[in-house]
Amino acid sequence: MFSSYQPKNSFDEYFKDNVNSAREILIPLLSSLDNMGLEELNRNHSAAKKLLLRHGATFRLNDTGLKGTERILPFDPLPRIISKDDWVTLEKGLEQRLEAIDLFLDDIYNSQKIINDGIIPRELIESSEGWRPQMIGFKPPLNKWCQISGLDLIRDREGDWHILEDNLRCPSGVAYFLENRLVMKNIFPNLFSGRIVKPIDEYPSYLLKTLQELAVWTDTPKIVLLTPGIFNSAYFEHSYLAQEMGIQLVQGHDLVCNDDYVYLKTTSGLKRVDVIYRRIDDDFLDPLNFRKDSCLGVSGLLDVFKAGHVALANAPGTGIADDKMIYSFVPKMIKYYLDEEIIIKNVETYICHYQKDREYVLENLSKLVVKSVAEAGGYGMLIGPHSTTSEIEEFANKIKNNPRNFIAQPTLELSTVPSLCDGELYPCHVDLRPYILRGKDSWVSPGGLTRVALKKGSLVVNSSQGGGCKDTWVVGK
Amino acid sequence: MLLSRVAESLYWINRYLERAENISRFVEVSEAMSLDCPPGSAEPWLPLIDASSDRESFDKRFPEKKPDDVINFLIRDRLNPNSIISCIQMARENARQIRDVMTTEMWEQINILYWNMQEGEAIWNKPRQEQLSEIRRECQLFYGITDATLSKDLAWRFSILGRLIERADKTSRILDVKYYLLLPSLDELGGVLDELQWIALLRSAGAYQMFRKAVQNSIKPNSVAKFLLLDPIFPRSVRYCLDGISNTLKTIDTSPSTENPSELECMRGLLQAKWSYIRIEDIINHGLHEAIDSLQMDLNKLNVLIQEKYFIN
Repeated sequence: MFSSYQPKNSFDEYFKDNVNSAREILIPLLSSLDNMGLEELNRNHSAAKKLLLRHGATFRLNDTGLKGTERILPFDPLPRIISKDDWVTLEKGLEQRLEAIDLFLDDIYNSQKIINDGIIPRELIESSEGWRPQMIGFKPPLNKWCQISGLDLIRDREGDWHILEDNLRCPSGVAYFLENRLVMKNIFPNLFSGRIVKPIDEYPSYLLKTLQELAVWTDTPKIVLLTPGIFNSAYFEHSYLAQEMGIQLVQGHDLVCNDDYVYLKTTSGLKRVDVIYRRIDDDFLDPLNFRKDSCLGVSGLLDVFKAGHVALANAPGTGIADDKMIYSFVPKMIKYYLDEEIIIKNVETYICHYQKDREYVLENLSKLVVKSVAEAGGYGMLIGPHSTTSEIEEFANKIKNNPRNFIAQPTLELSTVPSLCDGELYPCHVDLRPYILRGKDSWVSPGGLTRVALKKGSLVVNSSQGGGCKDTWVVGK
Repeated sequence: MLLSRVAESLYWINRYLERAENISRFVEVSEAMSLDCPPGSAEPWLPLIDASSDRESFDKRFPEKKPDDVINFLIRDRLNPNSIISCIQMARENARQIRDVMTTEMWEQINILYWNMQEGEAIWNKPRQEQLSEIRRECQLFYGITDATLSKDLAWRFSILGRLIERADKTSRILDVKYYLLLPSLDELGGVLDELQWIALLRSAGAYQMFRKAVQNSIKPNSVAKFLLLDPIFPRSVRYCLDGISNTLKTIDTSPSTENPSELECMRGLLQAKWSYIRIEDIINHGLHEAIDSLQMDLNKLNVLIQEKYFIN
């Protein structure tokens, strides 16, 4: 099946350098794939796509109307495999990172020791778009700010793992992570036989437990998932998770704040809510306290939260820690709060706010990736080596006008995994988003969502930019 | 406990699917009937548009009023909010809003139906009668799946409520429209018209076989009207639906006041009583059309009262 497959110059996760030198952990899968053959693989691939459509695993972009096109997230059938040994290290690294970030959030909204000790400049914190001064002096339930996060990891040319981004607000994709496995089991059961793939189906149970634990005032909490509604591109995920957990999926207008509590509007009157897994950004959560023009949120919700009468996951204000500039300080946070060395490295990051970094970035734009610190989804980005002179010039001006808003990183050759493009196998770039749950205990999903740049030669894996996804297997004894 | 918004969506999903199903019945039977019609006899098409009260918008857009215009308007016209394709689209939009409440099987059924109705799907290459019976089967499959997989809680009750209200309305409309079509002048009331057409009417309402079982006699207009309006056990008769509506509302309302019943309480009780005890002769004597008209107004009123009590708060 792989006879015409040519690994790229980057780290190929199936093969060491050519198709005759498969990585040891891949050998059993490769033989199952060979038995299947390319034709059957393609046929089953179509069946998998139909299954996703039937399940309604679709998204539509925010700007399309009622009759806008709905698409499934392109699904690639060749699983990405991670060895158990690698995984143990990654798991530790993720837990370490989240622990430090939670301590940072608690510190920054309370005693601000890290600022006073001169580790992070105050101006960088207070100028961040994720900074929420409303949260100063607040302690969330269990003293944890990020119950649910999804961090982006990549492997470089040598196969070393790095953290690319911290997503600490409403990270999405977990439904695809679960759904991909379901589809693989349904359509490609033979690929599983004879090996142990770490199961992932417990995610909804852990998520529910994590949310329940936030309601420290009751043993029978009423939990809901707050969605912006069917026009949100992650709506499929919202309804999927609510259904998997057996909790209610609600929209802002289903809720009302009254006498310091939050209530659900039901056919038998108002019912109190204890925990809200909110999938609405801070800005839109509460028109009374944040953006006045939001019609997605609930007026007064922040006040009820601060009064301790409802729990919100994640707490408002966590966006300060996934500012792409604050990202560059995480290794220092780990040292500062935990007195440990960072287990999964950051990617080298230049902070345009600093004159020296800025000068370097402006001189080397054609070699760098520049990112806007507050944007997600692959928007507001410049990929130097793939850009025209005028695009580079345009970005140089943006940086000069608002240096605080930009960071730059060297262009990384993301690792590749064989994937189906137009019926043939190509090495496509991938990243990985594991999900971390933190209630009383913490739990890391084995593997995560592998996003794959299904356009030949593309480095951008985001779904909003034409990327797709793969099932991810953690295997080994 | 059920969210008001969710109750409303369940109610409307079922109304829309029931509507789609009924339209498919109307078109299928009218098409079959038109093949049996001698030239110059009653024209079966435009009354179908009347049956859904969409005459005005139809006339504006299709001044030629060709049979194909009617059929497309009723089946595939996205600009007609009451076409089958629009009803199914709206049902799915509502279903998407409340996927977490429906069972996976229910959601998948409605989702498959929606995708099957999109352009380029195999269904449109089939003969029209096949298309229509497939659509009807898919809608009925949804009811079956609902009844077989959803707990019999409030969510289920609001589903039933929507289904029955729409069904009572549509059965009465088909009778109203066809009755006058088949009896062009009131003088002929009680006379014998082509039996084939009465059979077609019964088929429109999905009632032919059950009518035959219940009334072992030749097919007379009055006995057809009686069966469709007043039969106590035929599931598409107005009376049966009103019984179901009343009983369902009774189980939804957990604290009814017997001394001072709410407007909704009164309405459901009066409607049920009226259609349980009225005689077909009285209906015919006072005018069938008038009786059906007032039924439809009552159903609209009921809809508003349900809306006010359960969906807005």
